[in-house]
Amino acid sequence: MEQIRLPTGEKLYQDQLANGLTVFILPKPQFLRTYAVLSTNYGSIDSQFKIPKRGLVEVPPGIAHFLEHKLFEEEDGNAFDRFAQWGASVNAFTSYTQTSYLFSTIEGWQEALIELINFVNNPYLTEENVEKEKGIIEQELRMYEDHPDHRIHSMLLENLYHANPVRIDIGGTVESVWAITVQELLGCYHTFYQPSNMALAVVGDVNPEETLSLIRQHYPTWEHGQGAIERFYPQEPVSVVHPWVEETLNISRPRYLLGFKHEPKWQGEELLRQQIIMSLVWRLVAGRSSQFFEDLYTSNLVNDSFGASFSSSPQFAYSIIGSETEKPERLHEELSKIIKKLQTEPLSTTDIERLKRRIYGGHLASYDSFEYVANRLISHHFSQTPYHRFLELVRDVKVEEVQTALNTELDWDRSTVAVLRPVHRS
Amino acid sequence: MNFVQCNLGAGVRLHMCETDKFKSLTCKMFIQQDLQTQTATSTALIPFLVRRGSQEFPSTLQIARELEYLYAADFSSDILKIGERQILEFYFQMVDATLLPQGEQQLERGLRTFWDIATNPAGSSQAFVEDYFIQEKHSLKQELEGLMNEKRAYALNRATALMCAQEPFGIYKYGDLDTLGKLENSQVFEHFQSLWAHYPLDIFLVGTNLDVVANLFGQLVEKRAEIQKLKLPKRIQVVEPRFVEETTEMQQTILILGYRTNCSYLDEDYYPLLVGNGILGGFPHSKLFMNVREKASLAYYVGSSIEGSKGLLTINAGINGENQERTLQIIQEQLRAIQQGDISGDELEQTKRGLISAMTSMNDYPGGIIDRNLMGIIHGEMRSIDQVIEAIRQVHKEDVVRAMEKVVLDTTYVLRAPRQEGDSHGTN
Repeated sequence: MEQIRLPTGEKLYQDQLANGLTVFILPKPQFLRTYAVLSTNYGSIDSQFKIPKRGLVEVPPGIAHFLEHKLFEEEDGNAFDRFAQWGASVNAFTSYTQTSYLFSTIEGWQEALIELINFVNNPYLTEENVEKEKGIIEQELRMYEDHPDHRIHSMLLENLYHANPVRIDIGGTVESVWAITVQELLGCYHTFYQPSNMALAVVGDVNPEETLSLIRQHYPTWEHGQGAIERFYPQEPVSVVHPWVEETLNISRPRYLLGFKHEPKWQGEELLRQQIIMSLVWRLVAGRSSQFFEDLYTSNLVNDSFGASFSSSPQFAYSIIGSETEKPERLHEELSKIIKKLQTEPLSTTDIERLKRRIYGGHLASYDSFEYVANRLISHHFSQTPYHRFLELVRDVKVEEVQTALNTELDWDRSTVAVLRPVHRS
Repeated sequence: MNFVQCNLGAGVRLHMCETDKFKSLTCKMFIQQDLQTQTATSTALIPFLVRRGSQEFPSTLQIARELEYLYAADFSSDILKIGERQILEFYFQMVDATLLPQGEQQLERGLRTFWDIATNPAGSSQAFVEDYFIQEKHSLKQELEGLMNEKRAYALNRATALMCAQEPFGIYKYGDLDTLGKLENSQVFEHFQSLWAHYPLDIFLVGTNLDVVANLFGQLVEKRAEIQKLKLPKRIQVVEPRFVEETTEMQQTILILGYRTNCSYLDEDYYPLLVGNGILGGFPHSKLFMNVREKASLAYYVGSSIEGSKGLLTINAGINGENQERTLQIIQEQLRAIQQGDISGDELEQTKRGLISAMTSMNDYPGGIIDRNLMGIIHGEMRSIDQVIEAIRQVHKEDVVRAMEKVVLDTTYVLRAPRQEGDSHGTN
């Protein structure tokens, strides 16, 4: 088992089982809770791939998320019930690139871990129970349709991207969900849930050797096809679908969201470095320590909802920045000026160094969150970014790199604005 | 993970939990007062105002830069409502001193900054900076108007406001727009000063080096002369259940059922009530989740919760509008089943385990260990995590039935899209 010393002084253990499963174990003395998460490197954007003997297949949007709902169903009941016997809480989530199943428990973590491994490895899908789930998922999607943050985010991505499946909601659409079949669900399951495409992380007051041997003993042999998964992502043009889109929703005031599409050209360490650089870029624009935020706030163009972020994977990368605002057009104008100013004037080394201290401290404190650490370890493993080198990379980031990112990545020809306005009442 | 308590003069308590378990130091300060229309909105403005600037750091920008310099120290302030108390909260967290270069200096600098932001707002000796006051009145106005943006939170608040219209509990934690419009800078400033001078203050600390920290707070906190006496909620009898339906443009229909539990924190049946709520709708194995979601596929979310100070049980669900009557019926059947003793051994045991597990888990979150004490502070009876776990262990089926029999429906609230022509109309 490989041992990695973390910046907090803790030791992280990592290994790969013979079946290909990657395991992370982070012992946390004194803590009472044990948290485990089992994830597959498979999310909503993986909709085109090759299946042996069948060739290239394309499946409807929403399958990864549908599977996440259905794996809890067992032939003799429901996985929720099994976890209830230890008082454990169990849950799951799906992102663009990943599906994760997790639990947190005080009692019986070994049994709970075996149960987690078992239910994820034993799909029980019938025509009847798949049909029954559709109503539940429809309500989940409808709930999001009433959510302004979710709505504007969807609008933005639909118009920023022509082809990349990141433009479609993770859950799919009400129509696509109702069209999903048992065969499609199983096809995806058998392709993406093979152990070599998965990772398991355990965080808690556990013994690493015993934990690893428990996993080794209970992780079932994979009886379906194995091997490298070939995935296909449509070629994404440089241009956007629409540079400015508007919709109405029953909300109190307008919302504005600006997105930049970046070419996903970074891999491995470069991707991690870029994530740090872009986080500095957006803190310079939208952080509470930024003069720009102060000016926009005092001129009442943004409120406390103002924020920006960079999302990236080996398959896509985009930035978003937005706020609730009475004047979306004015805010857009001001943001254009701010970005221009940052692109043309030299950056302050003091600002960058102070922001690096912030990222440094935030990283250390994040090791208190089992969920955050475990999920980071796994997502960085899947994207092949060396997370254990995070602080080194932060230290080494140069002002010029931030400047270059500002100049090259914030390209107005690859930007879209989404505006959500209140419904006019008669 | 227990707290050692010491008094810093009348009405000021310091609660300390010395531990090296976490990578950070966490500090929270709470000032409580009775929830009242006259003062609720003034109090609600304070979190907005303090983050704008202090005497030492007179703008949001300067505060943010100082916090960044302190390696991602975190400050926030908010309003909590527990029962009929409005609680002003100040929160501060920074990386544990042992992990930072010149850790002890950073720690003292951090805590002095925290104290300055929380107690010494930018402005004169009689008022906040006028520009800040005007801007933050506007921010609070947006917050109050923006309640309708999150339909589920809006529905829950609306149901509470209707159900408790004649009681302090009906007041929203951030106050109301009418009062806000009339507020003057000097008046809010006076209220801010009065909160710091005359109302109970509890300071909680979790982390290492707490002797140093306690010493510092000892110097910073001013002695108070007298402390305001506060009230506990009165119990109201339900005369007749009410049904209110409101419409707005939306996709889902949201159902809220508000019940009076006739039982709260100090009552003997409090823990049986918590177990009863867990069986009803607190977990994925609960009756509501199993019957409304898993069996009937009517909802994605459905659950119930307890407000243990006021004594309310609230059920909420998001459904398709055409299933309104059917869902209401299934929901009410679940409560009735519990009241009639239809509780399996597994349901009881799993629920108790779930509650005990959640309670024990709090030991792993600095914020969680702190917040759970608020009920004890308000009711003048602190209970340790171990005491609560023991009380839950002792709950039997007949206790649950007895507690849940006292639960009475007060208000059913439906928030939905206007009905299209041809839809059948709901009945009371």
